[in-house]
Amino acid sequence: MAKKRKRTDVPAEAAGAEKPDDSAPERPPRTLFGFKEPAPDAEAAPAEAGSAVAPFRNKEKVLITCSRRITYRYRHLMQDILSLLPHAKKDSKVESKQSKGSALNELLELRSCSSCLFFECRKQKDLYLWMVKSPGGPSIKFLVNAVHTMEELKLTGNHLKGSRPLITFSTNFDEQPHWKLVKEMITQIFATPKDHRKAKPFHDHVFAFSIVDGHVWFRNYQISVPHNEIDKVDKGGLDKMTLIEVGPRFCLNPIKIFGGSFGGPTWYENPYYISPNQIRALEKRQKAGKYAKKVKAKVRRKMHEMENTLEPDEFAELWKGE
Amino acid sequence: MVGLAREEALAHDEVIMDDADSDVEVSDSEDDSGEEAQATPSENAIYNKVAILEKLEDIAWPKNVDWMHKLTIEHDQGGKVDVNDDLARELAFYTQALDGTRQAFEKLQSMKVRFLRPTDYYAEMVKTDAHMHKIKGRLLSEKRRIEEAEERKKAREAKKIAKEVQAEKNKQRAKDKKEQIESVKKWRKQRQQGGFAKGNDDVPDLNFEGEEGFKQSKKKRPGVSPGDRSGGLAKRGKEGKNRRSRDAKFGHGGRKGLKKQNTAETTNDFRSYKGGESQTKKRKRS
Repeated sequence: MAKKRKRTDVPAEAAGAEKPDDSAPERPPRTLFGFKEPAPDAEAAPAEAGSAVAPFRNKEKVLITCSRRITYRYRHLMQDILSLLPHAKKDSKVESKQSKGSALNELLELRSCSSCLFFECRKQKDLYLWMVKSPGGPSIKFLVNAVHTMEELKLTGNHLKGSRPLITFSTNFDEQPHWKLVKEMITQIFATPKDHRKAKPFHDHVFAFSIVDGHVWFRNYQISVPHNEIDKVDKGGLDKMTLIEVGPRFCLNPIKIFGGSFGGPTWYENPYYISPNQIRALEKRQKAGKYAKKVKAKVRRKMHEMENTLEPDEFAELWKGE
Repeated sequence: MVGLAREEALAHDEVIMDDADSDVEVSDSEDDSGEEAQATPSENAIYNKVAILEKLEDIAWPKNVDWMHKLTIEHDQGGKVDVNDDLARELAFYTQALDGTRQAFEKLQSMKVRFLRPTDYYAEMVKTDAHMHKIKGRLLSEKRRIEEAEERKKAREAKKIAKEVQAEKNKQRAKDKKEQIESVKKWRKQRQQGGFAKGNDDVPDLNFEGEEGFKQSKKKRPGVSPGDRSGGLAKRGKEGKNRRSRDAKFGHGGRKGLKKQNTAETTNDFRSYKGGESQTKKRKRS
């Protein structure tokens, strides 16, 4: 603890110089977390892990809320994510009718959080996830599929609560701008800050985010590797490393990207996205078409018969007497 | 895999709907929103790349942030992964995570950071102990179920084989018996033909396999009185001190109930029977 205090004291001046700027509503362009001032921060440099710029402190705080009428499955998913992110705060349910956007923005400011994960459940069937960066940041709306919570007995792994995760991305996140944005937001939200109070020291689990078929898939694995010391893996141990799935699992389908938080100009629409309502309507229409088709087929058959009448059958009267 | 029906249905539907357009890239409308193309719904989409990239610059962490803050690894997926093939997809995720972790561990090791959890480090875990207990129970029961099924299968196989072996044995035994009878008949026939000459050379080679040598038969033995119920087998050890005199005085010993029995001797023994007629007449009078 003493070590921590010492570090906050040394760059206090630099931080003090930054603070009035940070708290002002309009941030300086380009950076949120401090200026690139090499001179006064030369003293701070040895205290940090060797960076010549202002010490980067990850002060990310995530607010996790949900809408009303959320089902048990999605509520458990929310709780699981809450347990995975020690820098997250849970808030009470939000009325999802009008003015949802402004209410949530106010809530964010009130709880002084820099991002938000909002789980919106509609019709008790579909779950939408909003990833939002707080003051004027972009917001992304996803449709969540394929939810498996940590409760499932087939997911047998376990890890420390609050340990910092290793995050792996597949390289197709760097292919397109909207995926780059998604990747950046995921990194900022899911990476536990280094010196967070509730963060535990070791790294024993890994997140895997990959893009397959236009969806973002999330997996969480526990790392088990044979080791005897805490800073070195056994010889050849890296080859014997196994991953055990801890959960939860979900699949995100991006719908739209907005410029502001919970609203704003639309910057991206997913062309392949079909809302679950439309899918259900389509299925119903297909089923409903059965009866109409049958009736039509009957009418057609009648017309056909009327047009091509059969010749009178010679043997029609043969068995009539009996 | 745990119920993936829902997710498959949705993913499949979307693929069906847009199969024709899957090759068409998103429209390169660089201008602001509002540009609509009426052709197909998939080309209607807005895509404001410039604004996205700008905002990305805004919110991103500074470029030279220590890797320790982010802990991110990129991994190349290789070929295209089939969404609907569960195993392949999960394998792809697994390899991505595994590869990423290897890289990360190498980095951490070179940085001499303490990153491996020691086995005696007790702290709150993300799943409770009770939950892990349930998981363990389930795993054990599954294992037991599989083992039992295998055992049952093995037992069935073994039974089948045992039955076959048994049938074989029975057949063999029947054959042997038949052979023996045949050989005796043959020998008898030969003797008949040969005229019962003494000193036969063709003594039947009756094999007594299955019998343990010459068993002691109690029925017909030479030199044994018919009244001897033990068949001459009862052993009389060396006679001890005045055995004979004691015998004469107190009787011979042996089983109690054998004294008064109808044996061949006693049937024809009338010593103890005196005067038949006079006896009855005497009794009748008195």
